[in-house]
Amino acid sequence: MIGNLTRRGMLKTGAAGLTMMISSGAAQRLSAQDGGGQVTIGFSQEPTVMNPHLPHIEVDEGIHFNLFDPLFTIRTDGSFQPALAREVPTVENGGISEDGLSWRVLLREGVTWHDGTPFTAEDVKFTLELQADPAFNAMRRTGHELVRNVQVVNDHEITWEMESPFAPYPSILAWTFIVPAHILGEADDPNTAPFNNSPVGTGAFQFGERVAGNYVMLEAYPDYWGEGPHLDRAIWRYIPDMTVLYTQFRTGDIDVIGLQGIPFDRLDQAEGLDDREIVIAPAATVESFTFNMERPQFKDPAVRQALYHALDKQTIIDAIYYGIPKPTETFLPLQSPYAKTDLETVEYSLDRAREILDEAGWVPGDDGIRVKDGVRLAFTNSTTAGNSVREQTQQFVQQDFADIGVEMTISNLPPAVMWGEYWMQSQFDSVIVGINFPTGADPDVSNYLHSSSISAQGGAGQNTWQYSNPRVDELLEEGGRLFVTDERKAIYDEVQQIVHDDLPFLPMFQYMNLRGHKTGLEGFDPNVNVRIETWNVAEWRWA
Amino acid sequence: MTAIPDTRPKMRGARFLQSRGMRRFFRHKLAVLGLAMITLIAVACIVGPWLLPHDMLDIDIRGRFSPPLTDTYLFGTDEMGRDLAARLFMAGRVSLMVGVAAMVLSTVVGTVIGLLAGHFGGALSTALMRFTDAFLCFPQIFLLLALAAFLEPDAMMITIIIALTSWMEIARIVAAEIRSLRERDFVTAARVSGASHAWIMFRELLPNAAGPIIVAATLTVARAILIEAYVSFLGYGIQPPLPSWGNMLNNAQQYLDSAPWLAIVPGVAITLAVTSFNFIGDGLRDALDARSDMP
Amino acid sequence: MATFLLRRLGHSLLLLVLVSIIGFALLNLAPGGPLSQFALSPGMTQADLDRIAEQMGLNRPLPVQYLDWAGGLFFGDWGASFRDGRSVLSVISGHLFATLLLMAASTIISVGLGTLVGVLGATRRYSLFDQLATVGAMVALSIPTFWFGLVAIYVFALELGWLPAGNMYTIGDQSLGDYAIHLILPSVVLALVNVAIWSRYMRSAMLDVIGQDFVRTARAKGLRSQRVLWRHIIRNALIPMITLAGLQLPTLLSGALVTETVFTWPGMGRLFLDSLNYNDYPVVMGILMFTAILVLLGNLAADILVAAVDPRVRLE
Repeated sequence: MIGNLTRRGMLKTGAAGLTMMISSGAAQRLSAQDGGGQVTIGFSQEPTVMNPHLPHIEVDEGIHFNLFDPLFTIRTDGSFQPALAREVPTVENGGISEDGLSWRVLLREGVTWHDGTPFTAEDVKFTLELQADPAFNAMRRTGHELVRNVQVVNDHEITWEMESPFAPYPSILAWTFIVPAHILGEADDPNTAPFNNSPVGTGAFQFGERVAGNYVMLEAYPDYWGEGPHLDRAIWRYIPDMTVLYTQFRTGDIDVIGLQGIPFDRLDQAEGLDDREIVIAPAATVESFTFNMERPQFKDPAVRQALYHALDKQTIIDAIYYGIPKPTETFLPLQSPYAKTDLETVEYSLDRAREILDEAGWVPGDDGIRVKDGVRLAFTNSTTAGNSVREQTQQFVQQDFADIGVEMTISNLPPAVMWGEYWMQSQFDSVIVGINFPTGADPDVSNYLHSSSISAQGGAGQNTWQYSNPRVDELLEEGGRLFVTDERKAIYDEVQQIVHDDLPFLPMFQYMNLRGHKTGLEGFDPNVNVRIETWNVAEWRWA
Repeated sequence: MTAIPDTRPKMRGARFLQSRGMRRFFRHKLAVLGLAMITLIAVACIVGPWLLPHDMLDIDIRGRFSPPLTDTYLFGTDEMGRDLAARLFMAGRVSLMVGVAAMVLSTVVGTVIGLLAGHFGGALSTALMRFTDAFLCFPQIFLLLALAAFLEPDAMMITIIIALTSWMEIARIVAAEIRSLRERDFVTAARVSGASHAWIMFRELLPNAAGPIIVAATLTVARAILIEAYVSFLGYGIQPPLPSWGNMLNNAQQYLDSAPWLAIVPGVAITLAVTSFNFIGDGLRDALDARSDMP
Repeated sequence: MATFLLRRLGHSLLLLVLVSIIGFALLNLAPGGPLSQFALSPGMTQADLDRIAEQMGLNRPLPVQYLDWAGGLFFGDWGASFRDGRSVLSVISGHLFATLLLMAASTIISVGLGTLVGVLGATRRYSLFDQLATVGAMVALSIPTFWFGLVAIYVFALELGWLPAGNMYTIGDQSLGDYAIHLILPSVVLALVNVAIWSRYMRSAMLDVIGQDFVRTARAKGLRSQRVLWRHIIRNALIPMITLAGLQLPTLLSGALVTETVFTWPGMGRLFLDSLNYNDYPVVMGILMFTAILVLLGNLAADILVAAVDPRVRLE
């Protein structure tokens, strides 16, 4: 441990020594970045997609947040904070019309791209239009496809119209990073532009270099419009193995342990490490045991109810997850103002489970497995192969289910197979999966619960449990049109109540991620509303 | 019979049991040790689970990570509080079965392809050997993982996958051996006397190529057990709750410093079993290889 | 020689075509696909996934995709990675150095140590050393590499703190010494198995040569045994080893894969596994073709080298 301190001490001295040698003008500019130094973040997946609008995974967003800015960002408490916009458009301040159809956004002045070019409304127009450009391989179009008639009023004001009111759009804009029209707009093909591997943004850090398979390095952007950065350099190191990731955190090779973080069983040990701070960070993802509701076994609500009673959440959490995550009854993160926290807690009781099945006419057959109308209460359960905690959960659940005369067979698949058609086209019986239901901080869950989102039935969303309830459809459509929090709250309360009664999936717990950093790093503040903990490196500093 | 001098090699392998090779094998101390070890392991795996007081599936989540020799837990308990000894022996059944079955399967495939290619020669031989070469061009791990994506990873599929990716060497060895035997007098004699292709291949050629096949097959068992462990390490192995030495080791790696016995016990089991097969293979090679008569 | 080369070239091309068809079919026919990694992103819809598939050309008939890819390959365009859009050749070359470095270090260790152990074992057959070496090699062959690697990290990086737990260099340092320190653990772990293989083969090759007539002749002529050993035995024993080295090429990738994963070594093995996990077809196919070419070249080079070293062998 002493060795690590010395090494970091040397780095800081080195940086300070460097500052003294630099001419006064440059030194003045650098003085804004008090402290300096660098931070090395370990990730167990590799950031590869630098263009924030091309298809990417969560780890890539850890870089995007620091290279680029959206119009406004979402803070840890769920509030929006202006970034490239001067203020967050709302109905109250006239940024959004009463009917939700006309939008006007005032833009920050004096912002420059990393190449020195001023940022203007043209960049915003370009970014919004790029999302719907048929020639561009945009990742998601939800919301953006409703945007019409984008008008640049002047360099710092922009307006557009929406085809229909869409309440989640502010949350979508909070992850829509503005990209430079003067670079990407000039490219022959934005899908393959050089920009995609040497990105230029307005963020606190500019692109340094990426050594594929190894690391991504960003350098401080001295002319950043906002607060920070307080570091000279940030490095994201790719460490593919979880055990090795944690080991390198222990040895001090990395300053921050990010994505996938510390294995739960190491929490006690990690908290005992010298000069390390461990952060237990809630994430929006909810782990659930999901059903394919078109399977004959699961069409009977009694079966889903009984299995819920046979699911010993608390023991699973205590024993397999070391008591770290919190049990939940709903699909929204408990930090969300929309989360319904007074849902009835379904108690763990194998007797009750048996009773429900008996009443519903599921009687044990010769082999002890229950049968009704020729349907055996037997099914497979799948998840990502190699996920050892989930495999332990499966084995634990399997025993309790067997106790009540239900046969569950484990059939795990490699990730590429698991989350391909097998998942999207509902080819499974049941799955253990963690899903981030809300759209950013917005409670809209149409993509997962509206009956028009069942892709196995030709729908366009991700309602893979094939859940269909007309009342829920109605509520979701209404909620998606409303911009007033209180009115929406009542709607989503009802949605949560109905889903809790219908049980297309059994909610288990909300994720808690174990992250950690060296003592002395300030500003590390995981945000439940974004997917990655390196969303605010601009605010990090060494004490 | 006197017209044609009997140039047959000493039916290596076929008459192995009464042969000088047998005596030579038993003089090979390591081979005997290997045979003894693997017999012991096999017996333990077959009988063990009945003798132990715990079932390998009994979960006692509150009593997990008990170190070896806690109460009646010979090797302690694992991350779910299951008896490690019971799991180890059950896993041994699975791993050894996978190893042996993969060996049988790949030996049969490799031998048939090698026999056909070696015996018939010509275009068939070229086609078969190019096909073999093409498979050899693939990194084995690619074939393993690509096939694993197709098939649901249960014990039988893992066996098939391992066999499908390890028959090529045997095919090559057999083809080379057969090619050199094909022109020998006893084969010519059989051909002249009107024996069928099948007769020549299976009654004349195969017994005489048995030595190298037996050696290669023994080593294939060793490798198959290791491959099963690797596939499990990469997360494509045999599914829980069925244990295999590979997935036990894979699950144990994250507890290496807190509960090292979880990794040590299956690690030692794999090493012992694989070493035994390697010893036996080495002994067989010495015993069946005529050249080892040389000083 | 020229006809030999031409024929080998023809065979090799045929093999490459065969390998590419098998590989392409295996990859593309497998369930799942490159888009599955995006499925669990918030707000991802089936419509988005369909559109991306269309954009990437993944919904064209397989033979069309194959011909498109193979045609590109023929003209030197190996395609672009699905993950970061860079050309496959530059992705591969970006990872090549790390693997070559690791290979070189571990090959030096395994050939050096393996030859030594093999020669000593053969010259003192059945001595205590030979028996220990035999047992040692067998055990080394039987230890799962990843397990050995993890134990090595645990002991040398965590408990003793002597060596880094992984990575190829410290960012910002990158001196020769820094590379060397990072190289020690992975190359030794990777060499473990190869020392065992190499020493076993060397031993038996030596024994083969020792038994041959020309050695007896040399000895009978009264040549000193040291001289016989070096001039005749080791030199001749090394000939089959050259072939072995050529045949070992494809196993390099597989062997390196596990080691690179455990030691976070940014090489080809790791790239291969990642590309396979993300179904980055162009990169997987690229690496596949690259290794296949390497294997074929390795075999060819081994044949030519053997002919150069061994006057009895003639290429025909």
